Amino acid sequence: MTQPQDLPADAERRLSQLEHGLFTSDLSVNEFLLIKEVGFHPLGFVMGSSIYHTGIQTRSWGKSQELSKLTGAMYNARELAMNRMEEEAEELGADGVVGVRLDVNYYEWGNDAAEFIAMGTAVKAEDGSSYRNSKGKPFTSDLSGQDFWTLMQTGYVPQALVMGTCVYHIAHRGLLQALGSVGQNVELPNFTQALYEARELAMTRMQDEANELGSTGIVGVRLEEKSHQWGSHTIEFLSIGTAVAKRSGDVRLPTPTTIISLDN
Amino acid sequence: MTHPAPAPKRPDVRQEVRKAAELLSRPHNPGGRGVTSDLSVDEVLLLHSVEWEPVDLVFGSGLASVPAGVWTWGQGEIGPASESHAMAFRAAANRLASECTRVGGHGVVGVHVEAEVHRLHIDVELVGTAVRPVRAGNAPQVFSSDLSARDFVLLVQAGWMPLGLAFGASFTYVPRRGVGTTIRQKAQNVELTNFTEAMYSAREAAMARLQDFGLSLGAHGLVDATVSEGPMAFARHAIGFTAWATAVKMVADEHRRLAPQVVLPLDDAVVQFEATSLRD
Repeated sequence: MTQPQDLPADAERRLSQLEHGLFTSDLSVNEFLLIKEVGFHPLGFVMGSSIYHTGIQTRSWGKSQELSKLTGAMYNARELAMNRMEEEAEELGADGVVGVRLDVNYYEWGNDAAEFIAMGTAVKAEDGSSYRNSKGKPFTSDLSGQDFWTLMQTGYVPQALVMGTCVYHIAHRGLLQALGSVGQNVELPNFTQALYEARELAMTRMQDEANELGSTGIVGVRLEEKSHQWGSHTIEFLSIGTAVAKRSGDVRLPTPTTIISLDN
Repeated sequence: MTHPAPAPKRPDVRQEVRKAAELLSRPHNPGGRGVTSDLSVDEVLLLHSVEWEPVDLVFGSGLASVPAGVWTWGQGEIGPASESHAMAFRAAANRLASECTRVGGHGVVGVHVEAEVHRLHIDVELVGTAVRPVRAGNAPQVFSSDLSARDFVLLVQAGWMPLGLAFGASFTYVPRRGVGTTIRQKAQNVELTNFTEAMYSAREAAMARLQDFGLSLGAHGLVDATVSEGPMAFARHAIGFTAWATAVKMVADEHRRLAPQVVLPLDDAVVQFEATSLRD
């Protein structure tokens, strides 16, 4: 087991308390009970964060391009937060982390400084079998307790939260181009193409991460497009999902009973 | 000719406070009126299914002053603010518990927590429904919990009981960067380690207090933690991290599985027509 490298002393103190049998979790009661239902026990609320200065990168007004420095920064900051969260989970001897939330917060006191934060609940299998992923690390997943229960009933286990990001600058249109489309219903091919390319880059990077883990698929993928604080023509495309792998062949998920609720 | 309306009489605050104190100290007469609760009908029915019933709506509030000037400048944790927060929360929780005892409840469920941090005071308000096992007498110790009655029933069925509301808070100064550092970092993509450390210390201190509180209640776990963080509206260089959760304890010999059934609702999603969506 690797020893955590850069966990602050405060965090270690808090985590050592958790070893006395108390658990903390931001799971709702439903989620808590469902996690117990699949034979896991929550160990503690784990988090990681990094405050990162995402600087400027020159972009040319009329050219669609990826801003690789910014992409790198967004990647690096999220990785730092995720790794610190994983280290906390590792410290607790967890099999994985469920209900991971990845947020970006901006504060007034630092222009362009953003806090990247990852939090979730570390869990451990009660029967002692290991659910760690193919890299020997605790699995991470942004699935809720309900989704986690359902996934486990079908014989799949989460592997890791995988993500791909791409910060893209979308070219402004020239004056003539803009004038040419006034009063017409036409597709704006340069915009379409730029958005397409950025999205594909982000999705491909996410898939690469999943391939590296030897996963069978990615569930619950979300695609977020945000301009953060870069102005309207620079957009971050972030795709994020939980990579899963088949663990056992038996599917225990019963056929759902169809219901029609009489309320509302 | 119209005369201006007479100015409303100023309420006699002292009189009001005296009246309130007198009302609070009067023993509760359960036979005198019906049950007040903010629970929905299905929650009441659910409570009855585990042989519990609502008793009354109970309140608790706490207000603690913060010494002037603590927010402006300094290093590390803002101790006085963190202490005031703990004081306000404790006072509110104690009042909630004593009000619950007064009406004969064994615990409070669905506690709505409202905590406001101001420059000179911290204000905590708790409102919830006192509940008790059907026709039970007074309880030696009451619990409070921000879990809904639904969650309470589920927990009881699984063999757990809530013990109380645990909380923790910490306020910390954000270190200022030197001019040189700020300029140097302007065009760089780097981690701002001193900021990260400040956030960490606030968060860890608050979470450690939350855990200490849970342990002092004899809890096996803390569920449904609500955490919030961010800079204070009135002092940008001070950040606060607050957390509260319900401490729970396993009271049965072992965790009872609930074996949920899988259902598939056939209801269509309700599509609401929104006139504003037609704009632009």
